[in-house]
Amino acid sequence: MVPEIDVLYRVALSITRSHADAEDLVQDTLVRAYRSIDRFDGRHPRAWLLTILRNAQINRTRRRRPDLLHDPDEVTRRAATTEDPSAQPEDAAMVDVLDERLGAALDALPIKFRQAVDLIDVSELSYQEAAEVLGVPAGTVMSRLSRARKRLRDHLAREGVLPRRMT
Amino acid sequence: MTALMMKAMGPMLWVRRQLRPDAPARCPEVARVLQPYLDGEVDARTLRLVSEHLEDCRRCGLEVETYTALKQAVHRVSDPPAEPVERLRAFAARLAKGELTDPP
Repeated sequence: MVPEIDVLYRVALSITRSHADAEDLVQDTLVRAYRSIDRFDGRHPRAWLLTILRNAQINRTRRRRPDLLHDPDEVTRRAATTEDPSAQPEDAAMVDVLDERLGAALDALPIKFRQAVDLIDVSELSYQEAAEVLGVPAGTVMSRLSRARKRLRDHLAREGVLPRRMT
Repeated sequence: MTALMMKAMGPMLWVRRQLRPDAPARCPEVARVLQPYLDGEVDARTLRLVSEHLEDCRRCGLEVETYTALKQAVHRVSDPPAEPVERLRAFAARLAKGELTDPP
């Protein structure tokens, strides 16, 4: 179970957006897991732990605020400013600039899009695993992820850090 | 393709239907499966068709390069601090030894 803690913490951070809450959520998950370990068949420990984590989070959210998630469609796109179509991501200096500007681009994403990016690109979950954590179909994860990356790309293209979309 | 239809079919089936089985993939078809392709979420046939297309298409190659750079950067800048993970490992070890029954 211990090798999965890194993944659990990343996933918890994705859905709580707070280091303190993420740590509490993983502790809660571990306690629940040990309590029910007799019922675990030994297969797919990550999926089992993610299910427990999701249920623990649902209980915590119910206790706190039911309106935690925002609707991505409420967030409007920023007006275009600058762009540099010749920018190439493989340039080492550009990689530094990309990392520097990415934080603001990620922070500008609606929470549901940010969760999809975090679960797939940071926690490195599969679409199906992310779907189970979020309680949505895998197709919804794919759709949110695709829209999130396009927004990130557009945001960074306006700053001349990535090439602009051609389609 | 509506979101509702995608939801009903699941991502793999949807991805599979974007490419014709026996024809070389074209740019718009590749664009539709690009994100699941980058995430390793396409089947072997789609993987082959997209890879073959990318060998000859500079435009789609640049798209792959750009989104790969973005994906890698997100992972790089979002690395969580080591301390909470270490504390949680210690917490799990104590649980395993039966020293804890509830979070402190």
